[in-house]
Amino acid sequence: MNVEITGLTRRFGRTTAVAGVDLRAGPGVFGLLGPNGAGKTSLLRMMATAIPPTSGRLLLLGHDPLRYGPRREIRRRLGYLPQSLGYYRGFTVREFVEYFALLKEMPAGRIPLAVAAAVDRVGLGDQSRAKLRTLSGGMLRRVGIAQAIVNEPELLLLDEPTAGLDPEQRGAFRALLRALGQGATIVVSTDLGEDGGAACPQVALRDRGKIIFHGTPGDLTARGEGHGTGDAPLERGYSAVLAAARP
Amino acid sequence: MTATSAPARSGPVTRSPGLAAARLLGLELRHNAMLWMMPVAIALFWFTAGRKIMATPPLWSLRAAGTQLSGVLAFASPVAGAAAWMGSRENRRRTTDLVSITARPRPGRLLAIWAATTCWALVAYLACVIVVYGVTAHQATWGGPLWWPAVVAAATLPALAALGLAAGSLLPGRFTAPVVAIGAFFVLALSTQLIQGSQSYWQISPIVTGAWDSPPDPEAGTFYAYVPDLPIAQVMFLTGLTAAVLGALALPTGSGLRSVRRSAVAITAAGLLAAGAAVTVTGTGRLDAHGMIAIPALHDAASDRPLRYTPVCGHTAIPVCLNPAYASYLPATEAALAPVLGQIAGLPGAPARISQAAATYQQGRGNGVGIRLAGSRISGAPPVFHMLLPIQLLGPVLTTPELVRQERSITGPSIVASVTGDGPGASQAQHAVTTALLMAAGAVPPHLPSPAAPTTSRSGPPPGAGSGDERYVVPPPGSPAYAAARRFAALPAAVRHGWLTQHLAALRAGRISLVQLP
Repeated sequence: MNVEITGLTRRFGRTTAVAGVDLRAGPGVFGLLGPNGAGKTSLLRMMATAIPPTSGRLLLLGHDPLRYGPRREIRRRLGYLPQSLGYYRGFTVREFVEYFALLKEMPAGRIPLAVAAAVDRVGLGDQSRAKLRTLSGGMLRRVGIAQAIVNEPELLLLDEPTAGLDPEQRGAFRALLRALGQGATIVVSTDLGEDGGAACPQVALRDRGKIIFHGTPGDLTARGEGHGTGDAPLERGYSAVLAAARP
Repeated sequence: MTATSAPARSGPVTRSPGLAAARLLGLELRHNAMLWMMPVAIALFWFTAGRKIMATPPLWSLRAAGTQLSGVLAFASPVAGAAAWMGSRENRRRTTDLVSITARPRPGRLLAIWAATTCWALVAYLACVIVVYGVTAHQATWGGPLWWPAVVAAATLPALAALGLAAGSLLPGRFTAPVVAIGAFFVLALSTQLIQGSQSYWQISPIVTGAWDSPPDPEAGTFYAYVPDLPIAQVMFLTGLTAAVLGALALPTGSGLRSVRRSAVAITAAGLLAAGAAVTVTGTGRLDAHGMIAIPALHDAASDRPLRYTPVCGHTAIPVCLNPAYASYLPATEAALAPVLGQIAGLPGAPARISQAAATYQQGRGNGVGIRLAGSRISGAPPVFHMLLPIQLLGPVLTTPELVRQERSITGPSIVASVTGDGPGASQAQHAVTTALLMAAGAVPPHLPSPAAPTTSRSGPPPGAGSGDERYVVPPPGSPAYAAARRFAALPAAVRHGWLTQHLAALRAGRISLVQLP
């Protein structure tokens, strides 16, 4: 298992963002669904080693991220796309991805090829010399994905990766996810049920800090038969589970 | 986006940290704010100080001191501001999460930013030094470049970059950089306000090049070797400060392994120790006799020895000889003194040579510095008259006509007085003969306008006051001495010269009265 989470809790002051989550995930694409404020981003940030948990146990790629040495090893094999991507306006696409390849301590000799491959995979090969300040929101999102995958991560964490992508790009992105998921664990956080259903064999639905559903998209769809609201079957399952979990 | 697979990993993983660090530095160099501040720093240097430095006499000591002082002040704001801007980049651009989850520790990222900022700052400063020193090399008539002042200013830049980076990373914000830029300038400029004499700890400030509140000392590298004691202490302080700040940036928890933090603690402690030691030894400094700050713990006695040189001499009736570093002043000095020297050449006891000598310095109250001629005014057989050029007296820099006027009104009368024996306690006849010879040489006008307003007087402190070189006071018009002087000056030159040849010994002995003068 690349991700083993037991009783994970994270509090910000008096607010509990993540409340006693248990989760195990091996190679493949794992969808983390839920409405705004469900604690998806906090869970992902803990898995990305950006913030420590308040309590609970977290094992990533077989290592404990609370210790410096293992944490550094995890970070070398980690890819992360935050919900809000910060970027350096003067960098070109290639430079930005190269910068993160260097920060991830990739072997220097491999970096040029890896950067070119990552930029190509997100469809920005012909924009590789463009300054980031000249790119559209969707293109910037793809740059963010490129920096996350440049080191061929074994654990890839994507927070709202399809925000700003057009339908064609979303399709291409799902194909990319499936390819990456062959050997790595990919956790995709989204509030759009369709994204999770289309690319993730396994999904978890979170609400108010807790996981209220864990299964396949088919199972989630089945929960919506005859219940719930929404246009698509998965959306109906999503709303039905949420409605059932709420008092 | 394509679902193609990534290039296959091949071969063993060799991280080659040196190559990776070089690539990271390359990226930071391309995107460092200091790159854009370089023209600003160079323009500040040139327009606030560069032209002024180039207008100073072409002496290495003056040009080097000017380059240090102005270089530090001109570069302080751009370097500290650029470093603070870069240090706050992650926060301003909201990349904190993204970069903080990477394997490279935060100190490594900050070190790359600091190195890039420092590199561009040094390149810009080096360009300024190359221009100033290159032009000086063409203009200077003797001596070689003094590197220590340039090294002090160069060592200031990494320290400013480290301080700016620390401020930017610890207090990230849009206004941090401008506040740091302005603050750096004022801290440096105000750091010298507390200097009181040559034993002040505050001399550690990198804008101090010698005795504070005095213009740069021209003796260094001309008559005596440059004493690098203060620059050594300043470089030690700046290096220690840089190490301490950079080490402190690696101290926060989460910055790295315990061994890394232990190293950071050691570097910070060593830096503080070096900086503290430098400040301590600077407090023991004293102004030496040659105008430089000597620090006993760092002093090399070999640097006290006078420099050997072959003077450059002119072709006046009595040759005027200057230190070769001042060769450009020879024509003006000759022009100023030739008429006076023509009056006394050949007289018994007249000097065989007028020779420029070194000045001696003495720390006065507060930051006051007394400067006078080292040794006696006349010495040797045949006698040599020793003089100081006005530039050695730390007065304002003079134009050539001002220099001629000053030498004619101060040095000329001193030379004549040394022949006639005029001075405190001299007879009225000696005073009258001195005045007559100066009138004949054109150094004193033969008709003064009124007794109340003599043209040469002691009204106000003359340049170089306290140096022993003071303006000659002629007898008041209407007085018997003045009348005798006019009468003696009106004699034909040959008659005057003949009378002096015959009676100079008696005149010097005070045995000639006013009425005995022809």
